[in-house]
Amino acid sequence: MLRIIATRVVLGILTLLAVSILIFAATEILPGDVASAVLGQGATPETLRVFRKELGLDRPAHVRYAEWFTGAIQGNFGKALTNKRDILTSITPRLKNTLFLAGYAALIAVPLSVALGILAAINEGKLADRLANIISLATISVPEFFIAYLLILFFAVKLRYFPSLSTVFADMPLSKKLHVTALPAVTLTMLVAAHMLRMTRSSVLSIMSQPYIEMAFLKGLSRTRVVLTHALPNAAAPIITVIALNLAYLIVGVVVIEVVFVYPGIGQFMVDGVSKRDLPVVQACGLIFAGAFITLNTVADVLSILVNPRLRHPV
Amino acid sequence: MAKKTLGRRKFLALSATVGASALAACAAPAAPAAVEAPAAVPATDVPAPAAPEPTAVVEMATAVPVASGKPKGGTLRIGMEGGSATDSLDPRTYSDSVMIAAALCCMNGLVEFDAAGNPTGELLESWEAKAGASEWIFNVRQGITFSNGKTLDADDIIYSIGIHRGESKSPAKGILEPITEIKKLSDSQIGITLSGGNADFPVLLGDYHLVVVPKDFTDWEKPIGTGAFTLESFEPGVRLVFKNRGGYWKKDRGNFDMVEIRNIQDPAARTAALQSGEVDAVNRLDPRTVDALMKDANLNIVRTKGTGNRFCFVSRVTDAPYDNKDLRLALKWGIDREQIIKQVYNGYAVPGNDHTLDALNPFYNTKMPQRVYDADKAAFHFKKAGITSAFELQTSEGAWGSAVDCAQIYQESLKKAGITMGVNKVSADGYWDNVWLKVPFCAVYWGRRLSADQVFRQIYGSASDWNDSNWKVPAFDDLVAKAAVELDNTKRTEMYYTCQEMISEDGGMICFAITDYLDGYSKKVMGTDPHARYDLNDDRIAEKGWFA
Repeated sequence: MLRIIATRVVLGILTLLAVSILIFAATEILPGDVASAVLGQGATPETLRVFRKELGLDRPAHVRYAEWFTGAIQGNFGKALTNKRDILTSITPRLKNTLFLAGYAALIAVPLSVALGILAAINEGKLADRLANIISLATISVPEFFIAYLLILFFAVKLRYFPSLSTVFADMPLSKKLHVTALPAVTLTMLVAAHMLRMTRSSVLSIMSQPYIEMAFLKGLSRTRVVLTHALPNAAAPIITVIALNLAYLIVGVVVIEVVFVYPGIGQFMVDGVSKRDLPVVQACGLIFAGAFITLNTVADVLSILVNPRLRHPV
Repeated sequence: MAKKTLGRRKFLALSATVGASALAACAAPAAPAAVEAPAAVPATDVPAPAAPEPTAVVEMATAVPVASGKPKGGTLRIGMEGGSATDSLDPRTYSDSVMIAAALCCMNGLVEFDAAGNPTGELLESWEAKAGASEWIFNVRQGITFSNGKTLDADDIIYSIGIHRGESKSPAKGILEPITEIKKLSDSQIGITLSGGNADFPVLLGDYHLVVVPKDFTDWEKPIGTGAFTLESFEPGVRLVFKNRGGYWKKDRGNFDMVEIRNIQDPAARTAALQSGEVDAVNRLDPRTVDALMKDANLNIVRTKGTGNRFCFVSRVTDAPYDNKDLRLALKWGIDREQIIKQVYNGYAVPGNDHTLDALNPFYNTKMPQRVYDADKAAFHFKKAGITSAFELQTSEGAWGSAVDCAQIYQESLKKAGITMGVNKVSADGYWDNVWLKVPFCAVYWGRRLSADQVFRQIYGSASDWNDSNWKVPAFDDLVAKAAVELDNTKRTEMYYTCQEMISEDGGMICFAITDYLDGYSKKVMGTDPHARYDLNDDRIAEKGWFA
């Protein structure tokens, strides 16, 4: 089993390396370079030439990749081309904000959706099952910004329970942060809950058709007991994978939520970097996103191995 | 200089647009028709911009008497579009509203503009031109101190202009190109020599990139300036906080204790923040939702008519088939300006007259009739042109958010005149690199320039890199050069009138709409008059405003 886990981790690292090359190559082939994007229509051929030279864009790509990657693994992403700020110092608070919001949403979403999923499985076909299904599907079927605008309209503009701007600052106390980010956290919960809920429900139910479950029922166990102690442990692997995917989504896929709630996360930072062709910023964000995604997936793989009774007790 | 005052980032344009409409629909339950029915709104019946005096086109001025002893104090919170996580306070990087407004909190310009758009002294107190307008003498305002205690003198001015010249990547480099020499005449006087005469030169020095710092200053993280405020904190793309440093040299200005500029890119989020009282002022309200906001008793909506961006479809007159003047005329007569303004801009725009000068410019040609949609004339010129080959217009969200909608309405209105034009929607990414100035017919927008000379030279001059219609007419260049040194205003006006007629008649540009600026304020914010240059009272609401 240790060998399987080690293989997974090594594969994760190799994937990250491959992704770093892809990120670098992709930023290279973006149309238009940073000099013309930064200067906009204020660019004349002469100012462009000066700026390009200043940025080192006249050197070959592989040289710049080698420099960038060796720097990046030491935590040195260089300086932003546009405003000359140190990228790591600019990214750190934003990454923390993103992780804070993702963690906040996950703390609500994961227990809620797994519990509701199990509840739905226990009560398959009954009212509770149907309600959980209908509500979660309804929230996932409308675009996220629509939910966000509705929440803002009612809870921020009309009722004024929460601010419409969820911007957090370093000097805010935790209680205030939790208050101002409540609306985006709820929005994100609604986005990811359905996926996890339905996966929990269906993987539990698919186990329920196995012969050993039938055996458990024949022993005279209650449905709740069968689901919780016999079906759930065997259904855990796909649930963990889905949770990991959704956690990754909460970190890398919430740019729209950041924009609507004016939340200073890393997504908006990357979008700004892309539109200004600030390559080092884009590369750094890309690498962090890839890292988050790969890490969470690797953790999910390892956990699935650990919770799987068949892998835990090899014959 | 940068023609873009509107952000070019259209990454989320679609979602933001849909969201904004959704919010509008929800925000106006009492008047659901407001989103779709501009006819129900006052002042959407836009007259041709023939209004001779600027005051007639500036609407909803808050008519505040200029009284001395305005109340001091309070924190002004501004929510603005036009900023980015890549922003810097280095004036050589400014390209959009947030940094323009931020710079004017802690620094001052060389020249500022009054509400009608005429140059007035700022750190350059006064000036005079020698005959021929190629030699200028500027007097440096005396008794001004920087936030580090240094007293302003001529060296600081020369340094602050100098960083935009020579081996510089500043967008202001181009407008300073005509300067051949800057001399220090004394601590309080500088002399500037130009390569050619230009009666509008002080206007050029009002460019927003030209802010003043002490000589040899380089630490743009902590700018030193002569403004009313000093920088407290700056998180690019998030917020800027400024604190009043007291004793501002401009009388009656710099009244707030603190100023906070928040970056709010999403129009619906800006609107919600204003409505819920989390900010006191916002820029660039969405024209599709502003009607609902006007009904809100807690808000004050300030509209500046026809000074925003100029939206155009530009053909290159050197490329076939646009080298045919009759085709160009057909394309000009065949665009339904009123319909585009009504449907796309919800009435908050004025029709363009195929050149980019607006009615607030003192040299705007009021005698030239406004071109309106005329399918018969379009068909007549198209027939005369005898074009048989297909031609297409390239458009993109990357040109501006609604460029595709505008192009589609245009295509329909041409069809009614029997003209078939293809519309090709191209990628927003790299639009200004790969499409603009390169393809024969595409969507372009231009920002306002304060001097007519600047407009004519940059957009239509033979020497300009940005002459996107490639319309190069020596007679026009001569006339512009002559007008630039003509100090008799009547003669000069006449020349500029002719320039506009030449462009409108012969040029390759179809300029169909000039938008309004729409600011939103809470009722307690005073000093919110419309301004001829930029929104938010020329991006100076922080220093000009006060709380009631």
